[in-house]
Amino acid sequence: MFKEKLKRVIGSGWNNFKRNSYVSVGTTGVMVLVLLVFLALIAGNFLATTIVTTLKDKVDVTVYFKTTSTEEEIFNVKGDVSKLTAVKFVEYISRDQALEDFRARHVGDPLIQESLAELEGNPLQASLNIKAEDTTQFASIVSYLEGHTFRSLMDKINYYENEQVISRVEKISKGLQNWGFIGTLILAFISVLVTFNTIRLTIYNQKHEIEIMRLVGGSNWYIRAPYMLEGSLYGGIAAVIALVIFYPAVSFVSPKIGIIMPGVSLMDYFVSQALLFIPFLIVIGVTLGVVSSLVAIRKFLKI
Amino acid sequence: MIEFKNISAIYEEKFTALNNINLEIKDGEFVSIVGPAGAGKSTLLRLLTRELRPSEGEVVVDGVDLASVSRRDIPLLRRKVGTVYQDFKLLSAKNSYENVSFALEVCGATRDEIASDVPKVLSIVGLDDKSENFPHQLSGGEKQRLAIARALVHRPRIILADEPTGNLDMVNGYEVLKLLTKINELGTTVILVTHNRDIVNAVGRRVLTMENGRIVRDQVEQGKYII
Repeated sequence: MFKEKLKRVIGSGWNNFKRNSYVSVGTTGVMVLVLLVFLALIAGNFLATTIVTTLKDKVDVTVYFKTTSTEEEIFNVKGDVSKLTAVKFVEYISRDQALEDFRARHVGDPLIQESLAELEGNPLQASLNIKAEDTTQFASIVSYLEGHTFRSLMDKINYYENEQVISRVEKISKGLQNWGFIGTLILAFISVLVTFNTIRLTIYNQKHEIEIMRLVGGSNWYIRAPYMLEGSLYGGIAAVIALVIFYPAVSFVSPKIGIIMPGVSLMDYFVSQALLFIPFLIVIGVTLGVVSSLVAIRKFLKI
Repeated sequence: MIEFKNISAIYEEKFTALNNINLEIKDGEFVSIVGPAGAGKSTLLRLLTRELRPSEGEVVVDGVDLASVSRRDIPLLRRKVGTVYQDFKLLSAKNSYENVSFALEVCGATRDEIASDVPKVLSIVGLDDKSENFPHQLSGGEKQRLAIARALVHRPRIILADEPTGNLDMVNGYEVLKLLTKINELGTTVILVTHNRDIVNAVGRRVLTMENGRIVRDQVEQGKYII
């Protein structure tokens, strides 16, 4: 009996979908747009997070040691700083390494190369390059260095010059996170409203049919179920179409984003997460369709 | 047996659609209800399908007070009552066969029962060759015959026909009347609401005349259209 009823419900839902082809195409089209907005939000969030992470990775504090400091003394400081929980890692750059890096950086500049050749000794200082777990923790790291017993060996701590940049990065990252979240919520809310309204209009077109079904003795669930199936078909098909549009679009845009943001591949991200995104989008589409149908049909079942 | 006991129906505390109606309709009767627009004829029928509840009084069908029927059980009540409307109320997305089979499906009929009953009932109303046609592909008379087929298919004890000939020409109107009379002869109670004098006079059975929500005349036998 249940199997028979299920078969009838599926048949009826499928027939509704097929026979209302214009409405079905319109509703599915709107849902495709809505789901594309969802995917675009995910892409936007990924890019924003990547920008913030990249910016944060670039922020560091460098401590330059006087040329008279010994390597042992610097390693002492490095050991102490590394123990701080706020510190992500500390890199020691010796005077020789600094000179080599400097030469390599200016390999194409004959004036600098000549000047370096004329110098008798190495004018560059050894340094410790410190990265923090979080950009807000630099101040505490620097204050630790200021009170260190070997403070006298330190010539310069470049935090004070970077302070503004660090706080700006911090602001941008917080702004992106907060506004990104609010923007995502607003857009997601609007998308849900658009879907709901579209399905409501679709069902409104069929309100007489629903009333008739009630009048010939159809139970609420028997009437509702085909419409829920129809809603799930809109959502499911829209999700598949949205994915078919989105992935090629990402593969087209991804190299262009890679030019602006080297090392960032939107395509790699969406391919690596495909097993998560594809079912996720289909579930969102189907849920949106079913819930919208369920809410929209309620009003017409009161007879 | 259908009983209306002291029935009043008042809409929004202003408009009195029915005013203290007392009425008994026996099993197998053919009752025509006539009266001017707004007399309360259709309201009376809508009480029997539980589309409306009376403001006062009881509607009792076969000993059951319809007010006691829960929302959940309303579909079960409607499966016992066949309804035919002036505007046909057919499902436009379903073809003739499906319009009729739907009424059986909702009752939980098996596929075999549907396959056996639907062609029979379509044949009774003369639409056996139009089972694949959708309502927009049928004439007014055919639509009404299809609506009657749907009302008949689960063998209801009562048929309510609200202006079934209102949208039809004379010939089709008489066809529909012939069908309703035939159904009544087979034992089904028929309640016909109409404005059509000729139809009522042709039936020549019990005629109730309503005015301003009251029954002003009840001609039990050989009734005529009198307003």
